[in-house]
Amino acid sequence: MAGAVAVLLLLDLLRRLVDGSLGPSTLLTYLWTGLVIGLIYGLAGIGLSLTYSILNFANFAHGEYVTVGAFSGFSTAYLVAGGGIATLGNLFLLRPAAGQVGVSITSAPFAVVVGLLVAVVATVVVALVLDRVVYKPMRSAEGISLLIASIGVAFVVRYLLAIVYGTQRPGVTAGTQRYFVGEALGLGRFIVDAHQLIILVAAAVLVVGVHLLLTRTKLGKSMRAMADNEDLARVTGIPTERVIRSTWVLGGGLAGAAGFLLVLSQGTIAYNIGWRLLLLIFAAVILGGIGSVYGAVLGGIIIGIVQQASAVWLSGVWSDMTLPVTFALLIVILLIRPQGIYGGVETT
Amino acid sequence: MSTDPDAEGESNVESGAARESPPGDAPEEREAERDAAATTEETRSASAETTRPDTEGLLAVRDLDAGYGDLQVLDEVDLDVADGEYVVIVGPNGAGKSTVMKSVFGLTSFMGGAIEFDGTDIAGMVPEDIIHYGLGYVPQNENVFAGLSVRENLEMGAYILDEFPDDKLAEVFERFPILEERQEQKAGTLSGGQRQMLAMGRALMLDPKLLMLDEPSAGLAPDLVDEMFDRIDGINESGTAILMVEQNAKEALRRCDRGYVLVNGSNRFEDDGDVLLHDEEVRQEFLGG
Repeated sequence: MAGAVAVLLLLDLLRRLVDGSLGPSTLLTYLWTGLVIGLIYGLAGIGLSLTYSILNFANFAHGEYVTVGAFSGFSTAYLVAGGGIATLGNLFLLRPAAGQVGVSITSAPFAVVVGLLVAVVATVVVALVLDRVVYKPMRSAEGISLLIASIGVAFVVRYLLAIVYGTQRPGVTAGTQRYFVGEALGLGRFIVDAHQLIILVAAAVLVVGVHLLLTRTKLGKSMRAMADNEDLARVTGIPTERVIRSTWVLGGGLAGAAGFLLVLSQGTIAYNIGWRLLLLIFAAVILGGIGSVYGAVLGGIIIGIVQQASAVWLSGVWSDMTLPVTFALLIVILLIRPQGIYGGVETT
Repeated sequence: MSTDPDAEGESNVESGAARESPPGDAPEEREAERDAAATTEETRSASAETTRPDTEGLLAVRDLDAGYGDLQVLDEVDLDVADGEYVVIVGPNGAGKSTVMKSVFGLTSFMGGAIEFDGTDIAGMVPEDIIHYGLGYVPQNENVFAGLSVRENLEMGAYILDEFPDDKLAEVFERFPILEERQEQKAGTLSGGQRQMLAMGRALMLDPKLLMLDEPSAGLAPDLVDEMFDRIDGINESGTAILMVEQNAKEALRRCDRGYVLVNGSNRFEDDGDVLLHDEEVRQEFLGG
């Protein structure tokens, strides 16, 4: 049934390409932007997946870690790039007086790199502090208690950020270099911009890094061991608290990076961007198979591409339906493969 | 341990011998102590003459009360394991056999008594700390990391060491060649017997003085059970003391040095394995005649 629908949609896609109602460049744009946004879902999803399998609860505050990364990173980037344009306070709060600072990789590459690093570090610190204050005292509690606590944490962090930064949704990036790839290939208008390339490179480096960490290092192997069987890990002498801290460092850092990259790609920032992203991150993780790192990345890419490519069929008044359609697909895939794509295969 | 390549073939035997007579503890002296202890020992023994070793042995459990949460399972359990000894705990289901081992390893709620291992009071310690004293434990179920490769499982066994013990890995591979063959394979894909070998291999990576095995023959096909017992004999012969809980009571008692019969969380009988095996009461009540 689902297979038949998929085949029909593919045939329809081909028909549209042949009869010209869908230009190849438009399809390329959907796929490319879907890939880029999907990588961000995936990066954020790795942390959610790791904390789920190692700490045994679904962390609803994970979206807020993304937001913390976005704000800490962009405040830093503004401070680095905007010296002299506005007061330090206003730069930090992303409120330059007149004439925006607007950070981009081409106008202020150093600020972007420093911002990304600070986004990672600041989110790691926040994740560790939250673990120490909230989750550690509850270590032996049931997953459902931890889940509810994490919803509380999400609210606190979200509205603390709202108090500091306000609830508006300012644009914070400047235009950057655009490469007219489509024209060069004779396919029409298909543009790749420098920020998208940065995201692609950063995501690739981080995913490969996580893979190497989990498969090549003693720490990474002990994280997988603990995700696999916590009791046995304890019996084996693996220091479980240290592994948990490492999990927050890794998961928080990736969430922070995802937040910074998300803002770099969409251009605007707000106190609730992480919260709005959370459902999609969950979708990516569940689709890929909860507990699987590759699954989270693959799930993210699928969710991202479906979200973008569904615009082929959902135009005009139907364009608001992309999100429901994305989740409908999630449901269909889970009906066919309840454990997710990589689920039950392996922990990495 | 010697790193002299010429001594490699005999290294197991050597380390075993070294353990049985640690420096400063002359064999004659220990014999004398043992005899003295035997004459003063209260008789819980199945035979008239007890053979409980001197209390200076490796593991000494005295009046242990322990359980899960508020539920007390063990009531004043006494247990001894001497250096290099092979001790088995048998008894009916629910007697608390596994709980004894879990309690020694810090996995239950400690409620009273004393647990001394190799001269250190380990009562109330967590497994993470206990493992540093040379005590290894192989749980009955889910005793391998299924998502990790065979080799990674063994690496985790040596987690607490700063430097990876290549010599121990080689020993484990020599003892269980199938593990070397399958070292890249995920542990979850192994058969029951292979998993049991991997679980033991993981514990042997730290070269424990005492290895505690919880029902190593559980779930194995009958023709593999004997093989498993042979392997355990082998581990014991190379100097590692064994404390084992077994459903397969007759075979376990036949092979061990001493046995304990545990009933309702308390000691009922203790004696040489052979003595218990031929004791009329033990046979009738616990070994099915």
